[in-house]
Amino acid sequence: MNIAVILAGGSGSRMGIVDKPKQFIDVYGKPIIIHTLEVFDNHPEIDTIAVVCLSEWMDDLRILLRRYEINKVKWLVEGGETRQLSVYHAVKTLSQECADDDIIVVHDSVRPLVTHKIISSNIAAAKQYGAVDTVVPSADTIVRSVDGVTIREVPLRKELYLGQTPQSFRLSLLRRAHEKAKAENNLNSTDDCQLVLELEEEVHLVQGEKLNFKITSFDDLLLLKAIIKLGKTEML
Amino acid sequence: MLGKSFKIVEPRRFDLYIDDLVCAPDEAVVKIEYAAICKADLRYYLGARDKKTLGFKYPMNLLHEAAGSIVVDQTKNFEVGDRVVLVPNMIPPTKHECENCVCQQADLGENYCPHALFASSNYNGFSREYVNYPVGYLLKIPAKVAPQLATFTELVSVAISAYRRLNLQGDETVGVWGDGVLGFILSATLRSLHPKGKIIVVGKDEHRLGRFLADRCYLAGDPEISEENILVAYECVGGRFSAEAINEIIDQIAVGGRIVLAGVAEEPIGINTRKILEKGLSLYGVTRSSRADFKKALNLFVNEGFQAAISQLILAETIINDITDFYRAFEAELGNKELGKNILRFNI
Repeated sequence: MNIAVILAGGSGSRMGIVDKPKQFIDVYGKPIIIHTLEVFDNHPEIDTIAVVCLSEWMDDLRILLRRYEINKVKWLVEGGETRQLSVYHAVKTLSQECADDDIIVVHDSVRPLVTHKIISSNIAAAKQYGAVDTVVPSADTIVRSVDGVTIREVPLRKELYLGQTPQSFRLSLLRRAHEKAKAENNLNSTDDCQLVLELEEEVHLVQGEKLNFKITSFDDLLLLKAIIKLGKTEML
Repeated sequence: MLGKSFKIVEPRRFDLYIDDLVCAPDEAVVKIEYAAICKADLRYYLGARDKKTLGFKYPMNLLHEAAGSIVVDQTKNFEVGDRVVLVPNMIPPTKHECENCVCQQADLGENYCPHALFASSNYNGFSREYVNYPVGYLLKIPAKVAPQLATFTELVSVAISAYRRLNLQGDETVGVWGDGVLGFILSATLRSLHPKGKIIVVGKDEHRLGRFLADRCYLAGDPEISEENILVAYECVGGRFSAEAINEIIDQIAVGGRIVLAGVAEEPIGINTRKILEKGLSLYGVTRSSRADFKKALNLFVNEGFQAAISQLILAETIINDITDFYRAFEAELGNKELGKNILRFNI
């Protein structure tokens, strides 16, 4: 089985909006999380979906799933204090019902422009390698600064990639990575691939797309709205 | 559901769009998998229409020869994963009776309805990741037929539409003018639908003509054509040579013969009307096809001999990973002088 884990536990604090998390913001009549869920719900290789959500937004999510007829969501999992804990909660829930070699496709709910192609590439590569990360090559030169004032170094651009989601794993490997991190009190990782690397396991790259960007600021929201609005041009 | 789409926005210029697909209750979502570029698509690509017409068309998704797979169908007519062809000619639902309705006339049909919508002409075509489409205009591809091959269903349906425009008796000698893809498909289709009649093909390229399924092929201008007693002729030349072809048909066809015009000429052309009168000829126009023609076309594909014949038209499979591949595919098709088409495999 291939199971999508959609992370919707964030509070959207970076956007300034106080009445709802950013994944519930409406974009042309549909919340961002629904745009994202539709891509997974309609993907023929995705069997079921788990959504990790803030407990106080569970009912709102249930209402949205019903209204927009999202059919593959089987689990609503309560989010943790950090991203890592949220994924761990999902892993624990799934481990009760899923097989060790099932593929877990972890995706941010605020990346609605993920494509079926990216999801298919994730599933195929995760089946082959056990752990994969979706990335795009860095077009910009990236500088490293430790103090935020001066450059420490300029890493070689051709070796740098920008990490996106999905990140996909064999369930047993992802569980092992989280349990090791927990045992070592490493609880603030922002990325599951980091935890797999801690196991000294390889993580392979899957090609992402620039458009698969994360909505974290008002600029991103404006960009998403502009992109979708362009598509609404009607023929006469 | 959000999906990518390539629209022509000005001559030789495609833009990437993100479409938000909203399904009507009678629609399914189809993932476009294979498609082919038609001459009409190339005209829009080059901007070879008058400026005002193009102003009303752009931006538009091109391509109307396509096959895909069902992603969602809430009408339950199809299973997820079913391979389908999309009928590009649609009649929008109307509350009113159509005046002088042609849809029910066997020799005409819905492809001549003035209210019809045609994908990539007055309606968005299939150059996109997904399309929401009325299930009544989706037809399941038989299991034995490869989806790449099924992209030719539209052209075969046009050939069937041309065939049904006339009520053939069964043993007439039929002439097909044109050694291009439509001429090839029409002669192969006639071979199946009109088995008792002799099929003659007239073209300009001896090598191409050697591949046609015909009883006899002639180079244009051959005086022996007149000895064939051609009673019905199909013109599949189009473009700047259509006048030359039609005038040769008028010269060579038997008295009382019927001529079906299937090629699209860009400009008004001059034809020998005096001889049309003298010989008592009839001219018929055909364009596009109907849902029923598509069904018949898919039935023809079940025949292995027919499949083998049409398979010869697949020149190569071009993978479309992004919009730059899409540009390259159009440029390649512009330069294509072979008998056949490149099949585009969408992987966007």
